[in-house]
Amino acid sequence: MALGDAWKQISWFYYQYLLVTALYMLEPWERTIFNSLLISVAGMAVYTGYVFMPQHIMAILHYFEVIE
Amino acid sequence: MTESSSSKLLNGDTCHRTANGKKAARNGFVKNHCLLQQQQQLQKYRRPKEKSIQSHHVSRNAALYNKPFVESFEETPLLVAVLTYMGYGILTIFGYLRDFLRDWKIEKCHVARERDEQKDFVPLYQDFENFYTRNLYMRIRDNWNRPICSVPGARMDLVERVTPDYNWTFEHTGRVMEDVINMGSYNYLGFAENTGTCAEESAEATLKYGAGVNSTRHEMGNLDKHEELENLVARFLGVEASMAFGMGFATNSMNIPALTGKGCLILSDELNHASLVLGARLSGSTIRVFKHNNMQSLEKLLRDAIVHGQPRTHRPWKKILIVVEGIYSMEGSIVRLPEVIALKKKYKAYLYLDEAHSIGALGPRGRGVVDYFGLDPRDVDIMMGTFTKSFGAAGGYIGGKKELIEYLRSHSHSAVYAASMSPPVAQQIIASMKCIMGEDDTSLGRDRLRQLSENTTYFRRRLQELGFIIYGNEDSPVVPLMLYMPAKIGAFGREMLKRNIGTVVVGFPATPIIESRARFCVSAAHTREMLDTALARHRHPLRLQKSRPLIVRCCAVRWHQSGCAAFSAG
Repeated sequence: MALGDAWKQISWFYYQYLLVTALYMLEPWERTIFNSLLISVAGMAVYTGYVFMPQHIMAILHYFEVIE
Repeated sequence: MTESSSSKLLNGDTCHRTANGKKAARNGFVKNHCLLQQQQQLQKYRRPKEKSIQSHHVSRNAALYNKPFVESFEETPLLVAVLTYMGYGILTIFGYLRDFLRDWKIEKCHVARERDEQKDFVPLYQDFENFYTRNLYMRIRDNWNRPICSVPGARMDLVERVTPDYNWTFEHTGRVMEDVINMGSYNYLGFAENTGTCAEESAEATLKYGAGVNSTRHEMGNLDKHEELENLVARFLGVEASMAFGMGFATNSMNIPALTGKGCLILSDELNHASLVLGARLSGSTIRVFKHNNMQSLEKLLRDAIVHGQPRTHRPWKKILIVVEGIYSMEGSIVRLPEVIALKKKYKAYLYLDEAHSIGALGPRGRGVVDYFGLDPRDVDIMMGTFTKSFGAAGGYIGGKKELIEYLRSHSHSAVYAASMSPPVAQQIIASMKCIMGEDDTSLGRDRLRQLSENTTYFRRRLQELGFIIYGNEDSPVVPLMLYMPAKIGAFGREMLKRNIGTVVVGFPATPIIESRARFCVSAAHTREMLDTALARHRHPLRLQKSRPLIVRCCAVRWHQSGCAAFSAG
């Protein structure tokens, strides 16, 4: 029951995303290209954050002299 | 130029004469003698978020209007504008990609191309000019040119089409979508019908005269029906004489060249129809454009024209023609006719009023925008209109003084070269006009006029309550609903059709690039249930697409209300 509602909500958000980015007007293969580009760029950003976030946080805390 | 009658302004102020009063500025432009002052002091009381352009200066010139003139053109919310540009950017990038694929023959090209043998010649088809058509319009082309297979009344039948190759070609499935609510036809008074007195009289006229006229008006095409029609139109409008033409577009584009020429000045509104623009360009006059419905801009242009004259020789203009429309069909705004007439009288210009959408649809007696404001039809020099919209026929007319019409009869290109109006069409106009005037002894005309204004008020009010951004005047039956984003143009049209409502969606180039809209034409033939159905079905796409304007407007309305409360309390 909750899963059905969640699925409807997700598909509504996907529809809004298609409308706002004008992907609604494009053909399926064009949508695939755009979505894969977007996901790969977002994925790279998340990965970079995952790899470098600890170092950055330590550097910030060191700068504000919370740690030695 | 500075006669004493013109130094007394209509709103009671007196202005100083140039000779012994203020000095002219260095460029010769004399300031601050304007008839219509701009309300500078009211600017700072405008709320920053809801910058709708209200008619502030009407309060100063309120004597000219006998009822409140409420028009609103809410500004595009910033977030919506940014997202719209982003959407167009993505479509442009993909357009370039597809053009690249077509150029390198990876993809089949459906567009007109030259043959291989002609590749070295001067190019016949401009590739880049059609970029928008090829890559943006084609993707949502199924929202336009839908074939209708019944009379386009309040409900109509559409032929169902499918496209196997993304709108490059269409196939008919053989099925018909029946009883689609028609919110797009210019059927303001509901005369687009195939039953009733009008249709029967047109059928009789066909049986008597045939369907075609087979000649131009000059030669053999002048039927007694045309004379009867012209007398009736002149009586309807309250002018001395009128002339009827077979096509509304041709009325404008073929008659403005007959009225003005080189050495004349045409002042036309920013958003005038293509037929007026074409007629103005064909005439060879100088054209100057004033901001839409903006009387200060028009007055400035008039003053500059009279003070400086023609561009290089500084001779006075032979005539100055102000060209405005009654209702602007893309905005739903009504022209500020009392102010235009006041300006025209002060600066001795001529006025050409194109009442294509407003004739029959505005005014207590249905006589158009002149009747709506309660003005004298003799003040408007040339009243033009079309029979396509409220009369359920086709064609146009020009009304005015007898000498003007006699001149047009011999000098208009449309009269000399174009075929005249078809007899059943003329009879339809005669029958519907008599109905509106009440001369057919029924109250059908009066009922329809009342129904139209009730429907307009109801529809506009409900749409505003639902939270959409609506442009235009409160009383105009043309209701543009803003969509902004390119994908929403296609989505709105298709979703509405799925729910059995036929709408007209408009994008670039008919509107500015970010201000695409859906345009509804309220009709007297719509019943309250039909309008309710249409509005209810707005909610479904609303829940699905949740128009961005809705969210922002809700916030704006709540902010405005809280702001108002704070302002009035403080």
